[in-house]
Amino acid sequence: MSRDSLFIYTNSPMELRPRVVVTGLGLVTSVGIGVDAFWRALIAGACGIGPVESFDTKRYNVHIGGEVKNFDPRGLIERLRPNGMGRASQLAIAAARMALTDAALDPDTLDPSSTGVSMGTTSGEPSMIEQFDDQDMAGTRDAIGREFIEQYPCHVIAAHIASEFGFEGPNLVIPTACAAGNYALAHASDNIRNGEAEVMLAGGSDAFSRITYTGFARLGAIAPERCQPFDKNRKGMVPGEGAAILILERRDRALARGARIYAELVGYGLTCDANHMTAPQGDGAARAMQIAMADAGVRPDEIGYISAHGTGTTVNDRVETAAVKQAFGEAAYRVPMSSIKSMLGHTMGAASAIEAAACTLAVRDDRIPPTIHHETADPECDLDYVPNQARQVPVELAMNNAYAFGGNNASVIFRKHRP
Amino acid sequence: MTVRRVVVTGIGAICALGDHPSQIHQALCEGRSGFAAPTVFPADIAPGYQVAEVPGFDAQNYVKTGNVRPLDRTGRLALVGVELTLADSGWTTERRVAQPVGLILGTMFCSVRTIGEFDRRAQQAGPEYASPMDFSNTVLNAAAGQVAIWQKLRGINTTVSAGASSGVQAIGYAMQMIRAGRADALLAGGAEEICYESFHGSRQAARLAAPNGGGGPRPFDAARSGMGMGEGAAFLALEGEESAIARGARVLARVAGFAAAYDPTCHADCLGSDPRQLPQGVSGRSRDNRATGLAGVIQRALKDAGIAASDVAFVVSSASGSAELDAREGAAIAAAVGSRVPVAAIKAMTGEALGASGALQALAALETMRTGRLPGVAGLQQLDPSLAIDASPHTREVRAGHALVTAIAPEGNCCALVLSTD
Repeated sequence: MSRDSLFIYTNSPMELRPRVVVTGLGLVTSVGIGVDAFWRALIAGACGIGPVESFDTKRYNVHIGGEVKNFDPRGLIERLRPNGMGRASQLAIAAARMALTDAALDPDTLDPSSTGVSMGTTSGEPSMIEQFDDQDMAGTRDAIGREFIEQYPCHVIAAHIASEFGFEGPNLVIPTACAAGNYALAHASDNIRNGEAEVMLAGGSDAFSRITYTGFARLGAIAPERCQPFDKNRKGMVPGEGAAILILERRDRALARGARIYAELVGYGLTCDANHMTAPQGDGAARAMQIAMADAGVRPDEIGYISAHGTGTTVNDRVETAAVKQAFGEAAYRVPMSSIKSMLGHTMGAASAIEAAACTLAVRDDRIPPTIHHETADPECDLDYVPNQARQVPVELAMNNAYAFGGNNASVIFRKHRP
Repeated sequence: MTVRRVVVTGIGAICALGDHPSQIHQALCEGRSGFAAPTVFPADIAPGYQVAEVPGFDAQNYVKTGNVRPLDRTGRLALVGVELTLADSGWTTERRVAQPVGLILGTMFCSVRTIGEFDRRAQQAGPEYASPMDFSNTVLNAAAGQVAIWQKLRGINTTVSAGASSGVQAIGYAMQMIRAGRADALLAGGAEEICYESFHGSRQAARLAAPNGGGGPRPFDAARSGMGMGEGAAFLALEGEESAIARGARVLARVAGFAAAYDPTCHADCLGSDPRQLPQGVSGRSRDNRATGLAGVIQRALKDAGIAASDVAFVVSSASGSAELDAREGAAIAAAVGSRVPVAAIKAMTGEALGASGALQALAALETMRTGRLPGVAGLQQLDPSLAIDASPHTREVRAGHALVTAIAPEGNCCALVLSTD
């Protein structure tokens, strides 16, 4: 165990830290928009992956993606102009409004100075640089408007949410690539524990992008037909898009207003491999899990569900399996672990936020969503991946794992809430 | 419960004015401008405009072993900034292996040049011609990841983005992590490169000071017309006080206070969203009527540090020459600490280095406390009469004690940091 984790006990005893609960969920995903549609689809093992429609893939050797179809921001973005912003912001504001409604919080009566936003993303607003590039390549550089500099930088996602609702608390985007959602949730929980905020809108958002698609295609990482995490014949990941917002709230505040509580966020761990930009190493992932469990004050055999990073690439799934064994020991073989990326594809910076939402629903309902398309066991991936069928089983604690380019690892733990 | 104290044990920086804290501070005190004709993109794109590049930058001069080729310019600037910070704070390779050190890196774009070039190549030549190695640098945490690999930084590694306030946010994030006991040692600051994409975009959005006869950026000046672009990397080595003392580290100052917030009215005014569309009573409906926006943030940072407004010896602001932002920042400083506290602004000399700016401001504050000399505001001729602040073009003597660093971004992010030697 690293020194870093031990200080949590020596400096801030658990009982003195304000507790943080999840009181609302907002989801915009390829399998469903809104928490009920999303959760029904996950439990049913629905698949949101299909032929890419947002750009022409004829020059690529792969053609599938997890796009959100039929998303209409009207009615969900009321105060800002949806046409002026990129898609990641649109998805994020929509998720935020749904999450506030789900939490029974009226943005106009919330104290603005103690309500903040913490968002993760991989790419920010890629459509804005794509438009810039199109103008540049067409030789019409002078036609590039002010919207590039005003709407491209990734931190506009959190700024747009705060401006839409008038929230004046802490506001930050943490663009730690494919683990960004978990980083944003961790930071938001700290904002509440530090007393900087009472309510935080936290999550992630990413829009489908030709840049991201090109990159993963060039890495040879995209599966041709479907995403099969942990299957012996898995052929890669599938780029996707989406957004999730979790309403994090100080527990005493939530109890005082009689809020419905999905789960409590009880701990997290962040580490860095410092080894390779794109290849996961495993030791850093294991350390993140161990630090998260120490932070939450729980043992491996108490964890009832692991939401895997589970991208479906050969390397990730093998290394992640080994990392779970390193962190959990013998208990690794008894903890159900599934990857909802089998259904959604990899939604980049939104992924771990969407998966965190799934974790809170798993502990609420004692139900675990499956890893779909799982057909052939892999000797190197020999844990319980909840193949193809959702499972009803007591889930007291769920761990959400996410790993990213740059060697960024993040684990977040949710506990079933008892009044 | 006593709050764990967080100390600064080293500084490292590279910018248009130099690559050593005392050298950069001396240039600031002399009012030296880092602006010149651009070399990182063709100057004929914008005739007459100047930018504050790191002149003749070659990362290989700073890191003798290893090949910097896989890193883009932002990554290389960050690498050099971290290398200098590790050397200054005594975090040797052996120490870093024994104890995890983390990196909190603020950046607005990471490298939008890498992203733009990757996309344009794929669109023009075909996706099969886009480089996988370049793709790993298109993620916004690429610089932090690359530097972590190079320097074996296995602790918490977080990239934070809040526009031009990213660097101050990164230092605040790191301070809170150390206070909470989640880390013992973190390098915190930021990095940003000048490139065609961000320059041209800023010009098209009318954010740049007029070229040629315009005289460059003029922070707080009545005739200011915009900012000038800069670049660089700067970091502070932060540690828990007891562990810093235990390893025999030299302590330069404490990070005593931090606060951050968001101002929707700034977003509305700077990005042109219709103010009528804002929620009713924004900035007027906060509980207990505490000041909102940057003024409120400064007050909370002082409270976090346990000091009064009258304890602030000087301010190093983020004023860049922007008409709207300098007005907001000046008014907030006046409201929070009064009109008699000397206020500095460095961006007419360093340029607006975006993610790197906050840590460069912190560097200026720490060097000012060490030397007792506060740099004058270069570019300031006639103070904006609407601003009741003590800003002067002349370098002057100030006391040490408590320094305030402020930052505001057009998108609405604002934050404040208190650095103390008392």
